[in-house]
Amino acid sequence: SDQATGTLKVKGMTCMSCVHNIEDHIGTVKGIISIKVSLQENSATVQYQPSLISLQQIAEMIDNMGFECEVQD
Amino acid sequence: HCVYEFQVEMTCEGCSNAVKRVLGKLEGQGVNTVSIDLEKQRVYVNSSLSSAQLLETIKKTGKSCSYIGVKSS
Repeated sequence: SDQATGTLKVKGMTCMSCVHNIEDHIGTVKGIISIKVSLQENSATVQYQPSLISLQQIAEMIDNMGFECEVQD
Repeated sequence: HCVYEFQVEMTCEGCSNAVKRVLGKLEGQGVNTVSIDLEKQRVYVNSSLSSAQLLETIKKTGKSCSYIGVKSS
C-alpha cells in the first residue's frame, strides 16, 4: 500500500508551541498522512505516502522551519 | 544595506532560535545580521535582500508574520 512510516530526529524544540507548530505546518503538506512530534525524545514520527513525498523531503521542510532535522536510520 | 523590521509570532526561545536559524542560512548570501526582540515579537534583519524574500523565508517557519517596514537607524 502507498503508505510508510518514518522517524526523524528534531533538535531545537523548547516547548509545546514548537511541537504544535511543526505538527500543524507539516500536517498540511500533500502526502503527509499523520505526524506525531515528541518534545521529550526530540523526534517526529511521520506516516506518509512515498509516491508523493520522501522522508528526506519532510526532514528538509522541518529543517527549513528552523529546527535541526535528520532522518533517523 | 538597510534594516528590515518584521512582526513574527514567537512564543518561546525555541521559536526565536528557529527564526534565527532559518535566516542564518542566508548569512553571506545577502543577510548580514539578525536580531530578535522576543517580548515585542520583532525580528530585525540587516540585509541587502528584498523584504519580500526575507518574509518568504520567515514564513517557512510556519509562524504568522508580517513586514513592518525599514527601521530608521
